Amino acid sequence: MKSATERRDDELDAAGKAFERRARELLMESVERLPAQTRSRLTRARHAALESRPSWLSGLVRRWVPAGAGAVAAATLAVLFLVTPHGEGPGVNPLANAAPEDLEMLADSDAVQLGRDADVDYDFYEWAVSEANGAGAPSVGT
Amino acid sequence: MLAFANLGSQTSDLLPLGKAHLRELAQDGARTLESFLSEVERKAFRIAQIALRHEADALDVVQDAMMQLAHRYASRPAEEWRPLFYRILENRIRDVQRRRIVRQRVMSVLPWRGEDAEEEAPDPIDQAADAGPTPAAQIETDQTMQLLELALAELPTRQRQAFLLRNIEGLDVADTAAAMKCSQGSVKTHYFRALQALRSKLGDLVT
Repeated sequence: MKSATERRDDELDAAGKAFERRARELLMESVERLPAQTRSRLTRARHAALESRPSWLSGLVRRWVPAGAGAVAAATLAVLFLVTPHGEGPGVNPLANAAPEDLEMLADSDAVQLGRDADVDYDFYEWAVSEANGAGAPSVGT
Repeated sequence: MLAFANLGSQTSDLLPLGKAHLRELAQDGARTLESFLSEVERKAFRIAQIALRHEADALDVVQDAMMQLAHRYASRPAEEWRPLFYRILENRIRDVQRRRIVRQRVMSVLPWRGEDAEEEAPDPIDQAADAGPTPAAQIETDQTMQLLELALAELPTRQRQAFLLRNIEGLDVADTAAAMKCSQGSVKTHYFRALQALRSKLGDLVT
């Protein structure tokens, strides 16, 4: 059983092959006999095409710049990921759950001032209180 | 640290060699591309001229195809250039044919059509034959070639493409199929039909 191509080849008899050969000769001859003016235009067109070709440097840049930019972007992202604190969650406000009276105490400017007063002699006040509680406290000036 | 310093000096030694090597490769590529284009340009022109029946359009089409190949596909392996180039060429030919159809439709509805027909007349200097002897045999060959060209121009596009790519450029079936973007079986069918049609039109004229 012959394939379609084989049947076609069989159909292409000697006359057909001669026709094919002569047509090819004529076409090739017409290529060789192109006018000088046309050949000159084709040469100019070829040179223009070659000049439009990207240079080796721009080809290199075009090939490597996107890759370099991608690498820099990836490195930046990696650094940001490593440097940024993560896993601790958002910052916790210690006063978020404080009672209203605690907040009031903190907002009291006098209490804050007292807390900050480093000059207070607490030993003296303790002695004074203990003397006041004791019976035999000597009076001042005796 | 010392290892890094050594690595740096080695890299700086290698880089200039790499650049020079790349430049050499690019120059070799340009030379190869130029020889490829100079090899195909006349055949491509004849294919375009037979398809378009217009010398200036054929030149434009060939130049466009060469530019596109050089600009976009020069970095591809050289063995891919031929089918790629002819595919681009066939696409350009089709573009020109489509533009002509549109222009003809537009012109057919314009009342002042035909006024500038004189401007589009071919330049007689361009049409002049080359200087040199033209013996009778040459005249006969020229006439036969004209008949063959007319018959080729009347073929359906795919049949004409298959016939010209195989007989002018000498592409094999696989490369013709790649250039025509179809299967090898289709190429064989188109080619066979083209041959049959040409034989029935031209008969013994071309034997």
